[in-house]
Amino acid sequence: MAEQTQVRKYGYNIPISEKTLQVPWEEKVRVIEEVRSDFRFKDFLFGCLNCGVCTASCPSNRFFDYSPREIVQRFLENDIDVLYDMMHEYIWACSQCFTCWIRCPFVNNPGGLVIIMREVAVRNAFEATKDLLKPYGRVLLKVMTTGNQLSADMLQPDFFPDWGPKMLDNMENLRAKRMAIPFDVGKAVKTAWEVSLQTAIEMYQIWRETGIFELIERLDPNLYNVIMDIVEENEERWEELLEEMGEEQA
Amino acid sequence: MGHTSKSPYLKYADPEPFPILNKHSHYDHLFEEMHELEEKGEILVFRITEENKPKYVYTRTGRIKTIPTNKLWHHKSCGQCGNIPGYPASVMWFMNKFGLDYLNEPHQTSCTAWNYHGSGTSNPVALAAVWLRNMHQAWKTGYYPLIHCGTSFGSYKETREQLIFNKELREAVKPILKKLGRLTEDGRIVVPQEIVHYSEWVHAMRDEIAQLYEKEGKPKGIDVSNIRVAIHNACHTWKMMADDYPYDPEVYNGQRPAASTAVIKRLGAQVVDYSTWYDCCGFGFRHILTEREFTRSFAIQRKLKVIAEELKADIIITHDTGCTTTFEKNQWIGKAHGMYYPIAVMSDVMFSALACGAHPFKIVQLYWNCSNYEPLLEKMGITNWRELKKEWEDVVKYIAELEKQGKYDELLEFFKKYDLYEPYSKTSDGFKYRRSATSDMPLFKS
Ligand code: SF4
Ligand code: SF4
Repeated sequence: MAEQTQVRKYGYNIPISEKTLQVPWEEKVRVIEEVRSDFRFKDFLFGCLNCGVCTASCPSNRFFDYSPREIVQRFLENDIDVLYDMMHEYIWACSQCFTCWIRCPFVNNPGGLVIIMREVAVRNAFEATKDLLKPYGRVLLKVMTTGNQLSADMLQPDFFPDWGPKMLDNMENLRAKRMAIPFDVGKAVKTAWEVSLQTAIEMYQIWRETGIFELIERLDPNLYNVIMDIVEENEERWEELLEEMGEEQA
Repeated sequence: MGHTSKSPYLKYADPEPFPILNKHSHYDHLFEEMHELEEKGEILVFRITEENKPKYVYTRTGRIKTIPTNKLWHHKSCGQCGNIPGYPASVMWFMNKFGLDYLNEPHQTSCTAWNYHGSGTSNPVALAAVWLRNMHQAWKTGYYPLIHCGTSFGSYKETREQLIFNKELREAVKPILKKLGRLTEDGRIVVPQEIVHYSEWVHAMRDEIAQLYEKEGKPKGIDVSNIRVAIHNACHTWKMMADDYPYDPEVYNGQRPAASTAVIKRLGAQVVDYSTWYDCCGFGFRHILTEREFTRSFAIQRKLKVIAEELKADIIITHDTGCTTTFEKNQWIGKAHGMYYPIAVMSDVMFSALACGAHPFKIVQLYWNCSNYEPLLEKMGITNWRELKKEWEDVVKYIAELEKQGKYDELLEFFKKYDLYEPYSKTSDGFKYRRSATSDMPLFKS
């Protein structure tokens, strides 16, 4: 891996990737400023004792080269290179459990800082972010079009062989088994519950108004096209339904 | 009980019910702000009324939190309905048993926060709009939202805090809600008085649940007094917006979250403590789907192994979607590394329903559960579980057969008796124009 170690001002020797070193300084400052200017930032970062309680309780720290204390310290020292570098892969190790937040004596929220950094990474469509989220496409498709993140038909044993033989058994005759769930809206296969068309239409409006569709387009244009086909088809069905209802009322 | 602030939504227990470490909660201040915004006509507080048969619990700051127990709008969880359907079914089963009123309708999306925490592909305005749209829908029906998922609960608590304390967020979300027709007639945002997780409902109803166990569970030969239970509290219920979750003197003298533990104790099962109780499960949002080595390594090494070695527990009790999935699905794979620690895994409400005599497969839907639950059933005295499983499998066959023959009317008739409430009777707009996000046809035709 192409890495270059710079001697840091404060004596830290954190490896920074070659790629980050090649990005113009102003660009890196712009990205970090985008993180800092988020309205939540002021509520997520206060002082830091460097006590390491956050890192000691962090689940991701146990299995990845990842430390919430480090993130907090880098922000306090405004270490642009390291922060920019972290925004490519480092931050994606976080499990978003917020153990750091409940335990920090200063009430810092490193997991919250990470979510802002992730949002900015996605908005800026970093290549590393695109690669990292590729396997996540199926989930994005489901949540963007139906409003459910998960449905029974997504849990195919091919994708989850590690979940064992009981899982295989579950998937046999799935439709009938789903119908044997004892409440009506839960009998769906393609969604977790039956999400009404009207509700999905309102959600599409929310995605449009808040720039979420644009985010997806920048991240993965192919996925975006598939999503928009379904969205537009559903919007047409909704228009037809409104017409039908209007005619009946008249 | 309790002393009041200038806001009707903020009350503290007096005297303090247990030693309180966090006396100056910034979070609690939001109930005063909410009141002010309501006075200014910016928001409408969706109040919990007598009709909701409120009960009261304490948070860790000593605040008295109001828990509505009746007339509830089921805010479902996609992970539960998609993967652990016995979870919501058990909640509804209890509500039927207690004669409580509820609404379970299709006009609701997920909170979309699982996606947000996993992929960052959303933002606070979108999250707020999704939340407030769902809340407005509940308000329109007059049923109070009961949030099934821990992540929805955590995310909604956080989003409400951001909304109440940040004018810019209110200003960004309001025009969107207006376009959707999701403001009140006089242009206010509908904000719930309390954000309530189903585990808080279970906690508030623990006496009634224990009575049902005596009345209906025990006569069936069910006995949970020998069951050793390891409790796993979900991060997004008690670590996220930590000042808004129940604590109680009867659970570690108010120094650990009380929900789940209290009901299990009330049922008379043995709650056993273990050293990594505070650790998360390893779900990680993105990790459970695309970094599974992490999820299973963490779940096995930090929880399953510890629970097996320290406690020899019979069951891990959870109160959230992700943790339940993580623990039940990541046991078998441990065999590959000689780290197989089989144990039953289910949520507090599923275990409670079993204790009270609910059908393990028709109601608790253990069919979908990949954990080693059979020895638990035996130990609880549900020794006929094989017959009960066969019963459910026969139902599945019967349904499949009717569908194959296109006998939809007969199916509907069957569901009228089989389902926890009569199909289609309890939606806010009836059956006629029902079309779903995936089909023009209702349920079994989709
Ligand atoms: S939220 Fe992220 S940084 Fe904080 S403890 Fe959890 S995994 Fe670690
Ligand atoms: S727990 Fe808080 S004070 Fe301690 S190192 Fe982490 S961020 Fe700093």
